[in-house]
Amino acid sequence: MRRVYVVMLLLAFVIGSALTVIYVKHESRVLFSGIRNVQKKQDQEIIEWGRLQLQNSTLATHSNVESHARKTLKMKLPEIIELVRLP
Amino acid sequence: MNEANNQPVFFGGRHFFVLFVLLSLMAGLVGRALYLQIVEKEFLSSEGGQRQIRTIKTPAYRGAILDRFGTPLAISTPVDSVWVNPSEILNNLPVLKKVTEQLSINYKKTVDNLKRKVNKEFVYLKRQIEPELASQVADGIDGVYIQREYHRYYPAGEVVGHLVGFTDVDDNGQEGLELVYDNWLKAEPGARRVIRNRKGAVIEEINQVKMAQSGKDIYSSIDMRLQYIAYRSLARAIKYHAAKSGSAVLLDSRTGEVLAMVNQPSYNPNQGKKEASGERRNRALTDVFEPGSTIKPFTFAAAIDRGLYSQKSLIDTSPGWFMVSGHPIKDLRNYGVLDLASILRKSSNVGASRIALSMKDEELWLSFSDYGFGEPPGVSFPGESSGYFSHFSDWQKLDHAIMGFGYGLSVSITQLARAYAMIANKGRYVDVSLIRKDSEKEIGHQVEKHVMSAKTAQMILEMMEQVVGPKGTAQLAAIPGYRVGGKTGTAKKSAVGGYDKDNYLSVFAGVAPISDPRLVMAVIVDEPTQNGYYGGKVAAPIFQEVMSNALRILDITPDDIPSLRVRIADAEKGV
Repeated sequence: MRRVYVVMLLLAFVIGSALTVIYVKHESRVLFSGIRNVQKKQDQEIIEWGRLQLQNSTLATHSNVESHARKTLKMKLPEIIELVRLP
Repeated sequence: MNEANNQPVFFGGRHFFVLFVLLSLMAGLVGRALYLQIVEKEFLSSEGGQRQIRTIKTPAYRGAILDRFGTPLAISTPVDSVWVNPSEILNNLPVLKKVTEQLSINYKKTVDNLKRKVNKEFVYLKRQIEPELASQVADGIDGVYIQREYHRYYPAGEVVGHLVGFTDVDDNGQEGLELVYDNWLKAEPGARRVIRNRKGAVIEEINQVKMAQSGKDIYSSIDMRLQYIAYRSLARAIKYHAAKSGSAVLLDSRTGEVLAMVNQPSYNPNQGKKEASGERRNRALTDVFEPGSTIKPFTFAAAIDRGLYSQKSLIDTSPGWFMVSGHPIKDLRNYGVLDLASILRKSSNVGASRIALSMKDEELWLSFSDYGFGEPPGVSFPGESSGYFSHFSDWQKLDHAIMGFGYGLSVSITQLARAYAMIANKGRYVDVSLIRKDSEKEIGHQVEKHVMSAKTAQMILEMMEQVVGPKGTAQLAAIPGYRVGGKTGTAKKSAVGGYDKDNYLSVFAGVAPISDPRLVMAVIVDEPTQNGYYGGKVAAPIFQEVMSNALRILDITPDDIPSLRVRIADAEKGV
């Protein structure tokens, strides 16, 4: 009789471990797809960052800034005669 | 018989026959299973793997080149290339038609092209397009794939073209900093093994074969604000004087960092190799010229350092010329008796030559070598020139005499700027760098080498201030509010068999502010043909424009405020 119990117990272990394998495998797939999603997102952020950097440096080209300051904002360097010194 | 009929009849033979058939079928199945599982396992699983497991590249991007404050000069941004497997996509022509429309490429040509390459597995449809468009095109469509690539952009374009250089299609540096620091900037794409499903989507990663290694960034020593101003001023002057070419270098005299380095003509690195090689040359480092009068301060320094002359020494330059080995050395006119400062201010060749001849060949050679003539700027730039400066044992007396006012040797504009930086740096050697020197430590740890005494350097600085002063040759270099010093040079261009009569080089090199020098700039304009050709007329105004802006932008306190004669604010009157 005792032998039957031992076999039953082992059988239960085998089934248990088999189920665990299935579970873990599933878990790993889920996690992997999670990683993929995060990587995808990171990738998109990198693309966005590169685009923003380019956009920034194109818009902020010194020649752009200069012509904007001079023409649109009518900025100029003060003449020396216009300067006032603080005591 | 009835009884016998009711008895179940045991057909022994049939029973065993059926049993045998069933068992043998089962044995067959088991045998096949064993065979597949044991004997052919390797072959089958490798075949399966080949259909599912792929080694894919992990993209990595090349490091950026930045200015000293992080403004990008060269950056890599991701782009996508769309590719197909011809045999796959040719079975699905409607899809291909839609894809070609989205990519705006010719459908018929594409089909013909794919039919020709039908036994290849990989054909690009379109390279380097925006990632957004690419993912729209390839999303959920079988047989259309995306490959990540990086495109190199140079946002500042031609303003820094010569310095930054460019890369080829495979992202290898071809010119400029891209080439010099290629190993540092270079990216190493990684590789990983993955399992893909039937649709080609990655479902599991097996292992990483090689880690992707992105390139490292470089902070160059350039200050983009100053670089732009220098570029603009030089370009404008070259046009105004209808000159052939020109260069300008702005150095931080204390650290030797190059804050701006510009050349004309320039080119746009975004267009890569299209321009002629002459326009791609970084003239500031590769081209050499005879520096002419701009060398005089160094002749003086060498003689003063040896105690041969002092501030009060007088030299008789009359009658305005003298003969050396049968060749006349001439001034524009007879200046009479002059002190050192006046020789510099009036740029007397006779005076400079006399001073040069007061030293032995060897002494002059040693000093000039110390000032870095004949020695490359040491930024390991492709084509960087060390100039021409022959050993004193090869000198004739005439060589020695004309060396005193800058003939018989040649330098690059960067070498000239470095030499001036040594004067500005109180006689200490200056190490030119195109890379930002990071910590105070790094600068402090430089081997301190004096090439002239601090006292001599100070004396030369004050003499150079007079050149920019009201009686000097470079009045156009003066900057209100600052004490500025420098020296002009107008050199005849050497041509085959002598000097060219009508072709000049206009040079100016200067330092500011004199009381605590921070910046040094050297400018050369090659063959100005309109609106003057003297260094003081052509090159000095470029110096003035760039330097005055640089002083303001870098927030360097004016050291000559009284000269501005500005009103002093009065709190009570409210002004």
